[in-house]
Amino acid sequence: MATSSDSEKKQVMVIGIDDSEHSVYAINWTLDHFFAKNPSFKLVLVHARPSATSAVGFAGPVYAGAAEVLPIVDSDLKKIAARVLENAKQICIKNNITDVVVEAVEGDPRNVLCEAVEKYHASVLVVGSHGYGALKRAVLGSVSDYCAHHAHCSVMIVKKPKTKH
Amino acid sequence: MEASGGGDMPVSVGAGERRMKMKVMVAVDESDCSFHALKWALDNVLNNMTTTATPDENIEDGGGMVFLVHVEPAFHPAVYPIGTSALYPASASLEDLMRKAQREKSTSTLSRALQMCRDNQIKAESIILTGDAREMICQAADQMHVDLLIMGSRGLGMLKRTFLGSVSDYCAHHAKTPILIVKPPEDKEHKKKK
Repeated sequence: MATSSDSEKKQVMVIGIDDSEHSVYAINWTLDHFFAKNPSFKLVLVHARPSATSAVGFAGPVYAGAAEVLPIVDSDLKKIAARVLENAKQICIKNNITDVVVEAVEGDPRNVLCEAVEKYHASVLVVGSHGYGALKRAVLGSVSDYCAHHAHCSVMIVKKPKTKH
Repeated sequence: MEASGGGDMPVSVGAGERRMKMKVMVAVDESDCSFHALKWALDNVLNNMTTTATPDENIEDGGGMVFLVHVEPAFHPAVYPIGTSALYPASASLEDLMRKAQREKSTSTLSRALQMCRDNQIKAESIILTGDAREMICQAADQMHVDLLIMGSRGLGMLKRTFLGSVSDYCAHHAKTPILIVKPPEDKEHKKKK
């Protein structure tokens, strides 16, 4: 981490990202409000990539064609992850942020994000309020809820407003 | 006009002014956790705005604004532990006494919080609301269109095992504004449990 930081060590902010618009909104909101001038945080963007087996598992335990489908699913997931990371990098560049770590980790988002917090000794974890499963009735997604309860650092939930005001 | 919208990039260039004026609401109670949240907010969220200009400039421009909100529980006569109305013929005066005591406690909590803001040269206003903390805080944040609602993770509920108190949990779910839940600093207790 050879960055030209100030004499004080910067705190780390991890943003959990996925493919949803809530996530894009969360990144932009966080950069606007916390990274505009002289950011006092170091930024880490983490994408939790579901593993192919967990994605296919939804079809049911007994799925004869699973073995054939797995590689396709896996490559799709890799493409999605690449796209998510690329989008995130573009947003950072637009906001003149060069000191950022962007990574995709395979696994359940709940664990991936909480582990990322440990790994980077983050003081804040930022998540959108909803991700993939944006059930209209749910007021808070399950990953965001899990992180609010279990992350060992402060958690910021960025909510995308439903209507303009 | 704020150019928020769908999944595309909201305004991020040329919105320098907008970034400077962050309106933040911090929910405070008597707990250490909520004061820790306030301190964290003053150090990390609002002080960002003051690093690039002189303090005077910022106070005039409104470089950042904090609304300190404190919710008092509403009193109902049924809750009083003292049941003998013979001793207190005018139940109204007992209610007044309790309200007064509650109000004094709230005021002292908020004064402490206001002082912290002043020490950090951040503009602040205090608000006392009455009712269920969960709902009142969410409503206040939504109605005042704050940029960010900040609160501690645990308040007066003394269950040390829980990482997230019921008010923070409710607000995390129901507030329409972004919300930051500040966890208390790790102390020996946490380390023991691990």
